[in-house]
Amino acid sequence: MKRGMLSAALRLFTVQGSWNYDRMIGVGLGETVAPLLRDLPGGRDGERYREALARASGYFNAHPYLAGVAAGALARAEHDDVPGERIERLRLALVGPLGSVGDRLVWAGTLPAAAGIGLALAATAPVGVGAAVFLALHNAVHVVLRWWGLGSGWRHGMGVARALAAPGLVVALRVVTPIAGFSLGVALPLVARSLTQGFDHSLLLGTAAVGLVALVLQLRLAPTLGALRIGLLAAGVAILGGLLWR
Amino acid sequence: MTSTSVALLLAWGMVVGLDLISIPQIMIARPLVAGTVAGALAGDPLAGALVGVLLELFALEILPVGAARYPDYGPAAVAGAATAAGVPTILGLGLAGLVGLVMAFTGEWSILVLRRRNTADVRRNAGRLDVGDPAAVRGVHARCIARDALRALLLTAVGLVLAALVHRWAFLSVRTSVLLLAVLVGVALSTGAAGALRLAHGQRRASLWFLAGLAVGIVLVVWR
Repeated sequence: MKRGMLSAALRLFTVQGSWNYDRMIGVGLGETVAPLLRDLPGGRDGERYREALARASGYFNAHPYLAGVAAGALARAEHDDVPGERIERLRLALVGPLGSVGDRLVWAGTLPAAAGIGLALAATAPVGVGAAVFLALHNAVHVVLRWWGLGSGWRHGMGVARALAAPGLVVALRVVTPIAGFSLGVALPLVARSLTQGFDHSLLLGTAAVGLVALVLQLRLAPTLGALRIGLLAAGVAILGGLLWR
Repeated sequence: MTSTSVALLLAWGMVVGLDLISIPQIMIARPLVAGTVAGALAGDPLAGALVGVLLELFALEILPVGAARYPDYGPAAVAGAATAAGVPTILGLGLAGLVGLVMAFTGEWSILVLRRRNTADVRRNAGRLDVGDPAAVRGVHARCIARDALRALLLTAVGLVLAALVHRWAFLSVRTSVLLLAVLVGVALSTGAAGALRLAHGQRRASLWFLAGLAVGIVLVVWR
């Protein structure tokens, strides 16, 4: 294993910690990649190290779980003496694919899939089981993805695009959204039942009516008026209605 | 609630607030987890779990993508769980949900403030970052994370104060409490459904799997 790999892997968990509008996660990427650059010729005080760190700390954005792919590839390119302009181009070229693949795989895939399973269990199993299973499922994928990304980036260097065409990743992208849809589908009726325990028929009908109106509003008005704002407005109306209904 | 519980809730709120963006993004910030643990810390695990489930449905709306604006449901779930603890579900859950939503909204605003501060810090140190000064990279990164920890701590503190005020002063009638709960449950379930429909948007196979899941869920509800 490359020296500094474990330290870089741990720092990956903080990669988004310095998110800002100018460089996005660039500073975090610089901090992550630093342990992999320390053995460049000249060491920590050398010119090569500083140049490489400056390049890594420029503008960069990607899904945080896949940022390791870039960290590994950039570090490898620096060790392979690739010219600085080409490394810059690689860094910028990775922004789109790593963001897109990560968003589809995690935010629109494994996260809602695990949340659906967690919600279904929270509604049916003893307290805490749903949360624990959610965490276990999500992080089984998350940690593997971070470690795989860093290792793949280091192995492939400038040819890191090959890592994103890995058969496992392609299959995962194909199946993960249907799995998420299925798990959320199973969870919704179970959660509905759990949250409406003690409701009489008229209250159930009222809840369903509110739900339908809110669903139409969300599908038509999002992201202008998201669920949070609709929820706050509806709660205000409910409290006003309750106070006036004497 | 004891002072130990309050201290633990503050610490937990800070940890889950940090998890959303900075460290370590293992999703303890999700309300399902944050609320359940907060309920246990507040002495009412069931109430915390129910608040977690309610707010998790709201959180399904969000894809926390890059520069997108998103509410912070972690500390919000902690405040919600503290509100619901020790109160019968039918009376406390709606009010706890409302406290959670207010704090999630406040959290969204606090993230914007944090990002502006981080950007200012990066601009102040741009010269040193551009020449690869390791101390600048480390310093900026560490300060941004510390700033986020402070944000999460303050947000949780405000949430717990709000929860205490609601506990002490919000005397809603039974009818209003039930009405509030019914409305929030309706909106929450619609958010979960809207989230799933958006995921499956344009993907016939995913839509069919969502409908199949819905059918299985309904069968399970009837069967149980």
